[in-house]
Order: sequence, then C-alpha cells, then structure tokens
Amino acid sequence: MNPPAYLDYASTTPVDPRVAAAMARCLTADGVFGNPSSTGHVYGAEAQAAVEAARAQTAAAVGAEPRDVIWTSGATEADNLAIFGLAQHAQELGRHLVTARTEHKAVLDPCRELERRGWRVTYLEPGRDGILDPAQVAAALRPDTVLVSIMHVNNEIGVVQDIAAIAEVCARHGRTRLHVDAAQSVGKCRVDFAGCGADLMSLSAHKAYGPKGVGALLVSRRRGVQIEARQFGGGQERGLRSGTVATHQVVGMGAAFGIAAAEQEADGRRAAALAERLLAGLAALEGIARNGGGVRAVPQIVNLSFEGVEGESLLAAVAADIAVSTGSACASASSEASYVLRALGRDERLAESSLRFSLGRFTTAAEVDRAVAAVTAAVRRLRRIAGVCATTN
Amino acid sequence: MRYNELTRRYFDRATAAGALTGPGVARGEAGSRAQGTWVRFDIRVDEGPAGRLIAAARFQAFACPHTIAVAAWVADQAAGRTPAPALPQDVHALQRLFEVPIEKLGRLLIVEDAWRAAIRALDEETEN
Repeated sequence: MNPPAYLDYASTTPVDPRVAAAMARCLTADGVFGNPSSTGHVYGAEAQAAVEAARAQTAAAVGAEPRDVIWTSGATEADNLAIFGLAQHAQELGRHLVTARTEHKAVLDPCRELERRGWRVTYLEPGRDGILDPAQVAAALRPDTVLVSIMHVNNEIGVVQDIAAIAEVCARHGRTRLHVDAAQSVGKCRVDFAGCGADLMSLSAHKAYGPKGVGALLVSRRRGVQIEARQFGGGQERGLRSGTVATHQVVGMGAAFGIAAAEQEADGRRAAALAERLLAGLAALEGIARNGGGVRAVPQIVNLSFEGVEGESLLAAVAADIAVSTGSACASASSEASYVLRALGRDERLAESSLRFSLGRFTTAAEVDRAVAAVTAAVRRLRRIAGVCATTN
Repeated sequence: MRYNELTRRYFDRATAAGALTGPGVARGEAGSRAQGTWVRFDIRVDEGPAGRLIAAARFQAFACPHTIAVAAWVADQAAGRTPAPALPQDVHALQRLFEVPIEKLGRLLIVEDAWRAAIRALDEETEN
C-alpha cells in the first residue's frame, strides 16, 4: 500500500533538494566546514562568508536588514528570546504584555511564565473568523504595556493578522514594542519586516522547506530595539545568542528563504487551486464547518470541522491514506480540544472533530483526491456507526 | 495513538454496527455525545428449546476507536449467548485484550453500562 499522502506542511516541510544540496556543501572536508567565528584562517573565513550570505538571503526574503537577523535554533527559541529578552530589558518601564488566545504555545507559555513571575498579561479574543481587530489591541494597551505579541499567519487556521495596523496602534502608544511570530508566513504570504512596523519577528526554517533546528529572531536595529540575552558564552550574534553558528543550518535557511520568496506566488497559486479542489471534493458531505479561511487567509491551510464524528476516530479512520493534524491535542481520555478552535467559539466536540489539511510545494492533485475519498468514506462510515445524520451549519 | 491488531480489526470492520427494529428488540445506551462517548446496544432474543438466547446484537457509538472496537466485539460475541448483564469478559480483561490506555477505562465502563441497560430493557420487556 502507498504511504499516506503528506498533507501536514504546516507542521513541517521536507527539505527542498536545492536546500539540501546547499547544506551538504557545508559539512565535509571538501566543503565549507570551518567555524564561522574562527576568521583567522581561510576555513573560518569561508564559513563566515557563507553565514553572512545566508543572513543576507534571509533578510532579503522578509524585508529586513541583514544586521537585524539573530540566528536561533528555531521559532520557539526566537519567541522566547523576544518575550523574555524584551521583558527583562523593559521591566523598569512596565510589566504588562498583550497577546491573543490563538497564539502558538511558544508565545503563550512564555507569557504564562512571566505571569508566574508577577507580570500582567492581557489575552485578546479574536472574532469567530480568527481575526483580531486592531482596536482590540488599542483597548488593551495600558501605560505599563511594554510588549504586544501577535502572530502573523495562524498555524491552525491560516488566517493572517493585519500586522501593519497593529504596529501603528503600538507606535501611537509610545513605548510598546511589537513582536510578531511569523513562523508560518514565509513562502505563504509576503513578509515585510521593515515595512510593517514590527520591532521583533520570529522565523522558522523548517516550515519553508529548510532544515529543522534553525530559525531567527529579527531585532530591528533601525527602530533601536534592545533586548537582553538569554544565553551566554562566546558573544556570537551581537551577544544575543552565544554559541557556534551552525553553518550548514543557516545556509539551509538562507537558501530555503531565497527560494520561498522567489516562488511564493507560484506556490500560492498552486496551493489555492488544490485547496479549491479539496473543498469542492468535500462539498458533497453535509455538516462541515470551515475554521478560519476567507479572504484574510493563506491558501495552504484548510481547517474543517466535521459534525457527528468523534475526533480520534476520524483521524484513525483516515490515517492510512493521509497524514494530517487534528483539532484534538491528545488522543486520550483527557484529550483537550484545540484551544485555537475553542477560542473561535467552536464547541468542544466540533473542535475535536476537525482536521487541518496543509498543502505544500510537493502536494499533487492526486493526493488531494485521495484525501477527499478517504475523508468522505471515513465521515460517512463514522456517522453511520454513530447513528447520526449531519445537519448543515 | 497506536492501536493493536484486534482494535484495528474491530474498528475498521465494525460488522455489528447498526440498529435492530421490530418486536422483541431491547435497547440500552449510556454516555453522551456531548461528553464525547456514547454507546447503544440493540438486542433481539429468540426463545428456543435451550431457552432464551440472543439472536442478534447491534451497536451504535460516538466514540474513540478503542470504544468502537470493544462495543463491536461485545455485539459480535453476543449472538448465541444467554442474555446476562455481565460482558463476555470484564472491562479490565477487555482493557488488556484491546490494549486500551488506562486513562480510557471509563469509556469501557460506558460500554458495560450500555450493555447492562439493554439487558435491563430486555428483562423489563419480558416482565411486561
């Protein structure tokens, strides 16, 4: 039997072969294997040049300056560095943060940790479409608010927040900095760090056909953003992230981001056509609700809830045919429905019975058709077992 | 979540899924869809020379794969047996047989409760 069709690109992507080739050149004795900090010899100098070229590629892909880029191990580390680093630097000015309930755990958990340390955090509720109104941010700001952290593209439902409008709100307030988790954005929509007015931005390589284990935090030099380091020992990355830079990883990220920026429009058109094919194929099933989507969403992420089926059973029934994510965080007695879908007002059962289809550069029409067939059969069968007929929403 | 072969087989086939209708059918259910697990059994009994025996049993379930598999197995095992409130194996034995995570034991108790409710309904029907 064929392996299941991979439709979980929002979770991670395979490394693009062009990226893998660039990375491979940085590993062995006949390549660029030196320590980029050891610039006293040619091996280190070559590595440093490769790292700086990757920095320039990464910056160019997201509208940043190369000097803004701080390499990290991924977006989670970048989120932590942004939130704790800014909080530590700005704590004399205030101890209040604003974020949204639909953020990734890599933002929510640091916020909760700061709460534990005595900070105040306001968690904004987006509308049922997943979109935040910038006026909500404005209303949440207080004299002691030092940071707003809002994600660009939501990882579960694909909606895109109006970062420029939120940045304007923060700028009007004065000393409030804006951090943007853009882990899902690159390759799916245009990212313009300098143009959108954000102060800090987290990036991930492996969501954009780069390797796992590398990401970046953009820290705007032009806007004079200052944060405190969380890691010490060598002073690399402007002293903000000590440790030998992994040349092959950052070269992979630079190559991946370069390709993503160049091919974003073509990738987006393909994904939109495939998403339409998926939705059209599933249209015959009643009792489906789309989570997110709409005009302000990337085409690569399609999140659907299926009435009348239990979430774990749905995932188990389609697992042989497709690899997707579910709206249930854990398939056990204490399973927790997706907090993102719950925040949109979905009831627990409907949130649990959701599937996130995320399409990517290598997704084919045949894979989408296989998904349609598998999901249609599974939903009909499980509804029959449950003795229910779906009602349309 | 990984499922053992038995769970996978009964979840995938679920041949006893469905409902029985007509005279002499007793129905029992337990749990709730709103809480995430609901199971119903329908039982039909025939009177024969050997006494009352279950002629057919069907189940319906809004539940996880383990619960569906166990309910399907219980319905499969029922035919030809004397109607009794006890399952062919107790829930702990079923938990081991289907390798159900311990935190899901409560769901197997819902299967047991649904079966007992069906047997109770059968007894009440007989008394009437």
